[in-house]
Amino acid sequence: MAGDLVNTLADLKEQEVIKIAKDRLSAGEEPLKILDDARKAMGIVGKRFADGQYFIPDLVYSGEILKAVTEIVKPKLTKVAETKRLGKVVFGTVAGDIHDIGKDIVVFMLDVSGFEVFDLGVDVPAQKFVDKIKESGAPIVGLSGFLTLAFDSMKQTVEAIKDAGLRDKVKVMIGGGQITDEVRKYTGADAFGKDAMAGVSLAKKWIGAG
Amino acid sequence: MPVIRDIPLSLEISEVLRREGLGGYSKVRPEIKSLITELLAGVKKAHLLEPAVAYEIYSITEMSQSQVSLEGNLVLQCSLLSSLLPQAKELAIAVCTIGPRLEKQVTDYTNRGEPLRGILLDGIGSAAVDSLTQEVCKFITGEASSRGYQASSPISPGMPGLPITEQWQLLEMVPAREIGVSLTPLAIMSPRKSTSMVIGIGPQMTTWTQAEVCGRCNLRRTCPYKVIPRRGGVVKRTDQRL
Ligand code: B12
Repeated sequence: MAGDLVNTLADLKEQEVIKIAKDRLSAGEEPLKILDDARKAMGIVGKRFADGQYFIPDLVYSGEILKAVTEIVKPKLTKVAETKRLGKVVFGTVAGDIHDIGKDIVVFMLDVSGFEVFDLGVDVPAQKFVDKIKESGAPIVGLSGFLTLAFDSMKQTVEAIKDAGLRDKVKVMIGGGQITDEVRKYTGADAFGKDAMAGVSLAKKWIGAG
Repeated sequence: MPVIRDIPLSLEISEVLRREGLGGYSKVRPEIKSLITELLAGVKKAHLLEPAVAYEIYSITEMSQSQVSLEGNLVLQCSLLSSLLPQAKELAIAVCTIGPRLEKQVTDYTNRGEPLRGILLDGIGSAAVDSLTQEVCKFITGEASSRGYQASSPISPGMPGLPITEQWQLLEMVPAREIGVSLTPLAIMSPRKSTSMVIGIGPQMTTWTQAEVCGRCNLRRTCPYKVIPRRGGVVKRTDQRL
């Protein structure tokens, strides 16, 4: 039974997944166990994405199915379980850059993976990141940028975090089409991710859940 | 200064798939394919594409290794022209856009919690600008050949040798405002689904394929959106870019 949900979700069979989730719930199964299986399936999806079997649209599709399962299960969850998120992440596309689609994908995958994400949007000034980190107490920051010219904004954002005395309280990851380890070094970020799943893995690792 | 609107765009599913990162002739999930088909129909129905092009042709007065001087005392910092197109007599400058409507719809989908529709529509938008860019290249090639000249493939700001910041200059050289295109402080065009380019015109111009452009890009190893040469030959598209 459990294998069913894991494999059907990993195979992205939306209607079947929803039916299994509903059936298991009405059979009185523990809602958290259903969610747990769904998350296991996402692990398989992540692997298939990493080795090129799945593509970005497949990944986002899996996220939408996971979200649908969560919606079904949510009313049955206890308040404590419902509000328990893995951790907080402040995310945005840095000042001067207006690319949003890559950022939106990472934000969505972090969200469905259990993180509470504060999405600041695009063209986000460094100070806005600093303010949100202070306000939310988030230990993770994600910076997105697709332009060479955005690398400086990333560097300035990391510096602003440092100047605010928050650098040792947060881990910073960066990403976007052109980001490499060289760019990471230049900006002073802790890590870079080449895609949304890499972002999710980094966040999990940093909060000790990966 | 010339503006062209109402340009018919061909939106082939294979091109849309490439812009979704599915271009490696991989297996596409039927659900995704049918969603793209549905979105394509929606794009037509809701008139989400408003293609427009602003262009102008300038005579070249002087070309050095790092810059090109044009009639009207205009100077373009571009080292690519002297290396790729030393015989160019004229330069066509073009700015293309599909307008802001499609990207507004992408944002609406994302905000509504439908990111799959959002990213697929975004890919459709990129494929639409590609198609528009191709049409403009054809148009300029036709214009050049009517005067006994050839036209090169397009060179875009952002390629090594033509800095993105040269868009400040380029957008002044065509009626960009008339088609609603402006620049943000870091020289990105708004609407996002816009492109800019220069095309050399002269007696003998070199052309190149998109696969060749992708093959020289520093992202060639990792970019999911690249055009891959087909087995048994290169994909034949001489006037594509990016
Ligand atoms: C699609 C595209 C276009 C489209 C659409 C643009 C748009 N904004 O909608 C079109 C054709 C219109 C276009 C136009 C231009 N483009 Co363009 N474009 C691209 C392309 C191919 C993809 C960018 C994109 O939107 N990707 C979508 C996302 C989903 O892709 P992704 O990278 O796979 O996303 C993943 C990761 O990046 C990661 N990620 C993202 N953020 C983060 C953050 C964290 C923390 C983590 C961990 C991960 C992460 O996760 C995402 C999901 O898995 C890139 C090349 C590339 N491969 O990146 C060039 C590129 C960005 N463009 C470029 C250029 C130059 C231009 C133009 C200026 C060219 C021109 N003169 O016309 C114009 C400018 C347009 C404008 N508005 O000003 C250059 C920029 C070079 C530079 N010097 O900065 C690039 C890099 C291409 C190149 N190699 O030259 N472009």
